[in-house]
Amino acid sequence: MFKYKSSKDTGAKSWIYQRISGIALVVFAIGHYILMHFQPEAGKTYEAVFARMQFSWYRIIDLTFVTLALYHGLNGIWGIFRDYDLKSGTKITIISALILFGLAFLFWAYYIVFSIPYGKPMP
Amino acid sequence: MAEKINPKIKTFNQKEWVKTNLSYQKDPGSWAWILHRISGIALIAYLFLHIWSISPLVQGKAAFEQKMATYSGTLFSFVEWFLFAFVLFHALNGVRIIIVDWADGAKYHKQLYLYTWVIGILLFLAMGLIMFSHIF
Ligand code: HEM
Ligand code: HEM
Repeated sequence: MFKYKSSKDTGAKSWIYQRISGIALVVFAIGHYILMHFQPEAGKTYEAVFARMQFSWYRIIDLTFVTLALYHGLNGIWGIFRDYDLKSGTKITIISALILFGLAFLFWAYYIVFSIPYGKPMP
Repeated sequence: MAEKINPKIKTFNQKEWVKTNLSYQKDPGSWAWILHRISGIALIAYLFLHIWSISPLVQGKAAFEQKMATYSGTLFSFVEWFLFAFVLFHALNGVRIIIVDWADGAKYHKQLYLYTWVIGILLFLAMGLIMFSHIF
């Protein structure tokens, strides 16, 4: 059953998604670097992060960025494994580990962003 | 997929990349490919580290700034600068790959690859200026 499933997947969709997420990541990465390095001392202090996080649209951008970067990175890693002829059991183990790892970090990132309060900063 | 393979076209065998890259037949394309792979792996590893290192935001200002203090200093600035080199190569080469795939880039392959390096080196130097002009 798994064999049938994995042999049906040609990887064409993940190839396209890899390119689309790549193009989007260029935009996010440029923005991120302008924020963090244009004023090297002022870009990454707690105050700077806190001030950005007061805007919900910034939080949405931030979370879109992590989501895409984790997807793109782990889909890329999966693509590397796909270059090798793996047994279907090994494949299932690897892809499950990648998905679990990805989800764990994704939720952690979301939790970090949502824990930053609106209004008054935490000391 | 039933097309005949033209024996004059040398195809790059990904599984044999170590051999190809070490042989006398090396070609820039195979280096682009292996560097793309290395930089991609480095970036996802960095992203995990990055999420971990901003996680003290949960506890507030004191905890976050204590964490960030361990990442400041000239040595870490250099590490960050080289991280940027990985980001640059992966991003520019990634755009190059997309142009080759979707915009007939195969017709001007060599120029594209040259531009990747020229733009990359210029941006790398510019970033060095931004990052270090206030230190030195
Ligand atoms: C900055 C914009 C980026 C662009 C334009 C981009 C573009 C691409 C493209 C087009 C591929 C597919 C290569 C192929 O099919 O031959 C790829 C692969 C990959 N990318 Fe990215 N990427 C970017 C950012 C990132 C980031 C932030 C990460 C890590 C979190 C990452 C990790 C990877 C990995 C691991 C691969 C697989 C490498 C391989 O198959 O050899 N990329 N990237
Ligand atoms: C060395 C340069 C960098 C610095 C100083 C830096 C700094 C920061 C800071 C302070 C945050 C906190 C949230 C915010 O203010 O938006 C953040 C978030 C983030 N950074 Fe970076 N960053 C750097 C490079 C990168 C790179 C190369 C990537 C891509 C792989 C990246 C991906 C992210 C993502 C996805 C988030 C959101 C994390 C979350 O929502 O939990 N950063 N960065």
